[in-house]
Amino acid sequence: MKECHIADNPLPDNQSSIILAGNPNVGKSVIFQHLTGHYVTVSNYPGTTVDITTGTMEVGGKSYQVIDTPGTLSLIPRSEDERVTRDVIMSHIPWCIIQVGDCKNPRRTLDLTLQLLEMGHPLILVLNMGDEAQERGIIPNPKALSEILRIPVIPTVAVTGQGIPALKKLLVNPYVPCTSCFYSPDIEQAIKNISSLLPETLASKRRISVKLLSGDASVKSLFPDVFTQSLSLNIDQIVDALQEHYSRPLDLILMEERLEHVESLTNKTWTFPHHKTTTWNDTLSRWTLHPFWGMVTALMVLYLMYLFVGSFAAGTLVDFFENTLFGKYITPFVTYWVKHLVPGEFIQQLLVGEYGLFTMAITYALGLILPIVTAFFLFFGILEDSGYLPRLAVTMDRIFRKMGLNGKAVLPMVLGLGCDTMATLTTRILETKKERVITTILLTLAIPCSAQLGVILGMLGGISGWGTLIWLFILISSMILVGYLSSRILPGENSSFILEIPPFRMPQISNLLIKTLVRLEWYLKEAVPMFALATFLLFILHWFGILENIERLSEPLVSSLLGLPKETAEAFLIGFLRRDYGAAGLYNIAQKGLMTHKQILVSLVTITLFVPCVAQFLVNIKERGLKAALYISLFVLIFAFMAGGLLNLLLTWLPIPL
Amino acid sequence: MKTNPNPNNNENPSDNDIKNLYSEHRFEHRIDHGLCLIWHELERGNTQADPIKEKMIEAIDTRVFDELTRSGLILEENNLLEFTETGKTIAADIVRRRRLAERLFEDVLEIPKGEVESRANEFEHLIDRHVEESICILLGHPRECPHGFAIPPGKCCADKEDQLESIVASLDHFEPGESGRVTYIITRNHPQLHKLMSLGIVPGTLIHVHQVYPSFVIKVEETQLALEQKVAENIYLRRL
Repeated sequence: MKECHIADNPLPDNQSSIILAGNPNVGKSVIFQHLTGHYVTVSNYPGTTVDITTGTMEVGGKSYQVIDTPGTLSLIPRSEDERVTRDVIMSHIPWCIIQVGDCKNPRRTLDLTLQLLEMGHPLILVLNMGDEAQERGIIPNPKALSEILRIPVIPTVAVTGQGIPALKKLLVNPYVPCTSCFYSPDIEQAIKNISSLLPETLASKRRISVKLLSGDASVKSLFPDVFTQSLSLNIDQIVDALQEHYSRPLDLILMEERLEHVESLTNKTWTFPHHKTTTWNDTLSRWTLHPFWGMVTALMVLYLMYLFVGSFAAGTLVDFFENTLFGKYITPFVTYWVKHLVPGEFIQQLLVGEYGLFTMAITYALGLILPIVTAFFLFFGILEDSGYLPRLAVTMDRIFRKMGLNGKAVLPMVLGLGCDTMATLTTRILETKKERVITTILLTLAIPCSAQLGVILGMLGGISGWGTLIWLFILISSMILVGYLSSRILPGENSSFILEIPPFRMPQISNLLIKTLVRLEWYLKEAVPMFALATFLLFILHWFGILENIERLSEPLVSSLLGLPKETAEAFLIGFLRRDYGAAGLYNIAQKGLMTHKQILVSLVTITLFVPCVAQFLVNIKERGLKAALYISLFVLIFAFMAGGLLNLLLTWLPIPL
Repeated sequence: MKTNPNPNNNENPSDNDIKNLYSEHRFEHRIDHGLCLIWHELERGNTQADPIKEKMIEAIDTRVFDELTRSGLILEENNLLEFTETGKTIAADIVRRRRLAERLFEDVLEIPKGEVESRANEFEHLIDRHVEESICILLGHPRECPHGFAIPPGKCCADKEDQLESIVASLDHFEPGESGRVTYIITRNHPQLHKLMSLGIVPGTLIHVHQVYPSFVIKVEETQLALEQKVAENIYLRRL
């Protein structure tokens, strides 16, 4: 290891982005919030910030774009979100990179710091979560660290804003750090040799050289113009020559040497306590991870969710909103004025008729769905921010393994109970393509979203407990069966389950509220236009008498196979646009007393398993490709009707009191 | 893999015992060395006879290849080399002892990396079946040598009924509440290894085991991690 000269060159003033990088779960998003004043989702589950969030901030009278990247452990990516981070960092020439690190975990933090240093961009190291570290007696020495690494190091407690002003001040004048050369001499020489082959124009030549030595050829695709065949050949020669000296793969050697350096850095700049203290946090953590009590906790959490979302929101709140607020006051008021002010029956019917945009779409979106979805996102936010989700992942790991997934799939699955569309987007945190495809299939098939759940649970409440049990049983067994089969049929690998479990944290109310609002905004933007469109289509079909024809055409399917009244065809038809809307259609039919208990159960099973809503279908296309999305939808459609038909047959034969 | 050291290097003049032993069994040692070399080439998929022959001439001498063929230990067909049934059994045994010795030197005796290989070569000839089993149990039935090549399993690995308490064991043999220091991680699954390393699980790291079911829950530094059984099997720890 040798020291090298210091190079504090101020950068030319043409870079206008500030990149935030760091390990998962270190409070990056909170720092982002402090810098930009804008909100992003701050979460406790590793890898939740899948999409890149950007905001702007003023530094020294100039406006900069702040980019928040998904948490990453290393610049050699393993999952899609880590790849996103790598690509952002490798392809930008930023004004400055801010690395946010966890004070409690110096080794992981410094490992990334060393990799970022190799980029040759200005770098500021933020040591966050100083409060949690202090609680455990872990004390960093930022000054010493700053002197060794020759970069600014700032301790912060992001949740209280401590240290943020100092960070902002440093952003005015960032400087390029000196490159520390800590690899063995022969490796350093190879790095130099490769760097000298790379063109001057390329930023972070050292980092690219190290990556090439590590056998990460994907950097070549980031700069296709640079890596001509002859250059690649020359580089390969250097790499091969170096590999000759080592018995094990070079990437491991490089990593080991870097970690050795990290170890010595840590020993110089961190103090650890001699005795471990057990906090209430640890005790609670043990409980929620326990094989038995962990399961009990999981069931309790699900039950609480049911009480809050299914019972309180979908029952009490919806009753108030739909029947009292809309039913007694708003709807009669609007209907009165529309009938008086708007000429022509067509437009009147379009707005406030049986399939009216206001009476059906708006009432439904705001009176029925909004309370349920709000309650769900609030509850999910608490689960996320408290750090419970990774613990649920541990508890569910073995069950998910039967479906070709592992515990990590808990996040999209639970989020799917809120909104399957949003959940499909988060499948990106899964490491292999196979897992992402299986999760998408299961989300499409068997996970009802909260809007749908609210309606369905309301209807199930009307029939006996057996009905709910049968419905739940069919859903879970379909999920396990389809998961199991697709894990056998689909090619590709499963990733291994390695998951960080962060400490429990008290969710912050302001954070929770803003997060829920952002999700609601997103949801309403997705959902309301879809409601309006669906209602409009229904209205047109009804107005011109086409609806009756469709009902007649689909009668064999609906009446013969499922044994349902022909009116339900209409519900399934709108189910193509939104499943919950379809479920609401069934709800209306049931309320009119047109369905027996058996028919209610069959229709509910079918609509739960039914095709994805249009928004989810679009996201399926975006994430999985058109062909896969079509296949999934077709499979799900057939499966739903088969399951419904089978249940219809069974219920006809078996004397089950419903 | 570095080429196997020349047997002449093994004649350490300062160590008379070994030297005597060595000359007594000189012939046997050359055969052993030859079998090891072929094993190593074959496990890497190099089955062409000619390059192997050349390597043997360079590393040992010109006769050993023919001797191996004559003794009915190896077969050459269409310039493709393979072991006979007997040859394979004997070679597996020698390779196993040599690689176990390497593990012992590196993990427990902590002999500097550069010296491990040559010393292991000397040591392998001194181990009888009983000692070999004891070492294997002591090391927790390791599956790979320090260079990442498979150690052929012995009888004791299949039985797994250990009379001795092992010093080194894979994480899946630990109980909740126990601690250990990482000695090595099996390297066959590359991305997994990277992930473990960047989470701070590297040789020397102290690991506390909190829970073993339904998943392994361990504490590394201030981080709690959950791992599945298959990952735990690849992390070897020295008991504390």
